[in-house]
Amino acid sequence: MPASLWSRYLTATRYALAEQVRNRTALFLLVIFVPTWDYLFRLVIPDDPVSFLFRATNAMIRVSGLDLSLLTAGLYAITLIVGFMLFASTRKNTLFDRRLVLCGYPQSLLILAKLTALVAVAIAVSFYTSLVILAFWQPASLPLVWLGFLCSALGYGAFGLLIGSLVRGELEGFFLIIMISLIDTSLQNPIGNPVANEIFLRWFPSYSPMQFVVAGAFNREIPWLYVLYSLAWPLVFAFLGFSIFSWKTHVWRYQKTPPIPMANGSPAEHDG
Amino acid sequence: MGPLMEARELRKSFGRREVLMGVSFSVMPGTLVGIAGENGSGKTTLLRILAGELRPDSGDVFRQGALGYCPQTAVLNETLTVDQHLDFFRAAYNTGNPQSGDEFLEMLGYERYRGERVHSLSGGTKQKLNLTLALMHRPKLLLLDEPYQGFDWETYLRFWDLVSALRGQGCAILIISHLFFEQTRFDVLYRLQDGRLRIRGTTDTPSEKSFAGKEP
Repeated sequence: MPASLWSRYLTATRYALAEQVRNRTALFLLVIFVPTWDYLFRLVIPDDPVSFLFRATNAMIRVSGLDLSLLTAGLYAITLIVGFMLFASTRKNTLFDRRLVLCGYPQSLLILAKLTALVAVAIAVSFYTSLVILAFWQPASLPLVWLGFLCSALGYGAFGLLIGSLVRGELEGFFLIIMISLIDTSLQNPIGNPVANEIFLRWFPSYSPMQFVVAGAFNREIPWLYVLYSLAWPLVFAFLGFSIFSWKTHVWRYQKTPPIPMANGSPAEHDG
Repeated sequence: MGPLMEARELRKSFGRREVLMGVSFSVMPGTLVGIAGENGSGKTTLLRILAGELRPDSGDVFRQGALGYCPQTAVLNETLTVDQHLDFFRAAYNTGNPQSGDEFLEMLGYERYRGERVHSLSGGTKQKLNLTLALMHRPKLLLLDEPYQGFDWETYLRFWDLVSALRGQGCAILIISHLFFEQTRFDVLYRLQDGRLRIRGTTDTPSEKSFAGKEP
């Protein structure tokens, strides 16, 4: 008996998740890089207070520079790792996915499965990164920090997917993700960037997650609207990424029979 | 019964380079058709158009029955095992047979690798899996692009046994290759040259066999 759409969706999701779990480099980065990164921040960043423009109240707030940097470090690690995971799996499997579509797999189910894997990866990586922060510092609300991290992870997961469907070269893709993540997250940190409170920064992907994470970490008024703002980037990236994916995995379907039969005899030329 | 596939005046260019300049032919049930050509002559482009991966600039393709397509380079997922590939493609073909494909593992002699991930398989075994994925739903029309690349002699012979068995069941098979060692196996053999398809001399009258078909 042919399988239901639901069962075929589950099959595609299972393998999309298996692919992510078997990305050993990403797992290594997650387990080693994240705590090391936080630890090094703890060592080198002074605990002086810094001013941060908190948009929910539109006021400058004074927070610990070290704690703020831990949040930035978390965002940076998340953007790199999740971006890398989705980029690697998308880039490697475009031809394989097209073969599946050619063999009858509905494109929409493959897209849904990839979306599910993206969300699952984003939840797991952001959750783990939030927990690692606990080893160095107790934020006011860990769930809210996690929610902010999750928004960032979704954004860069979708960005990785977009770059994976656009860029052919592995190295070019990695550099794009690293450079964009570096610029985006470091510009949000007032320690690394004295103009971090500039208005144009609100258009950057990490801006809204950073606002939300700060609110959760320092027990400020929760800017719930910023969760919605945070989701704008992942939605745009995912839409573009899946549009390109659909185009690249498109299969031309042909009519079964010609309207007028071809005349008997070979249309090819004889060669001997 | 009419042809399982018919190509009419297919044209395809990449930039200024015209690869196909009006290719027409048809494939009848139960026939084995070969298309030979030098490297870069457009064989793979033609097969990709026939499979539906590429769109021709002009011309038409008509196709009926389930299609099996084996690309030249093994298109597999390096992180999945052989068994997982079969499972994934069963869901793609959606034939409802939970064992489909298993028989080809045995026939091609690589069932002991079914739990292995693709990245640890040899090039020949990857090619066997590549072929299995094209065959496992018992298609009516098979398009094979250099299908025996990397096969050892024994597997090469098994491949031809398999082809004979499939033809016997009425499956039409189109193979493209840069060279054919055993031309007598084919019902009709074409040569793709300068963007056009020409019929190579075979033991029989190629045009009649090509279009009248061969009884399975």
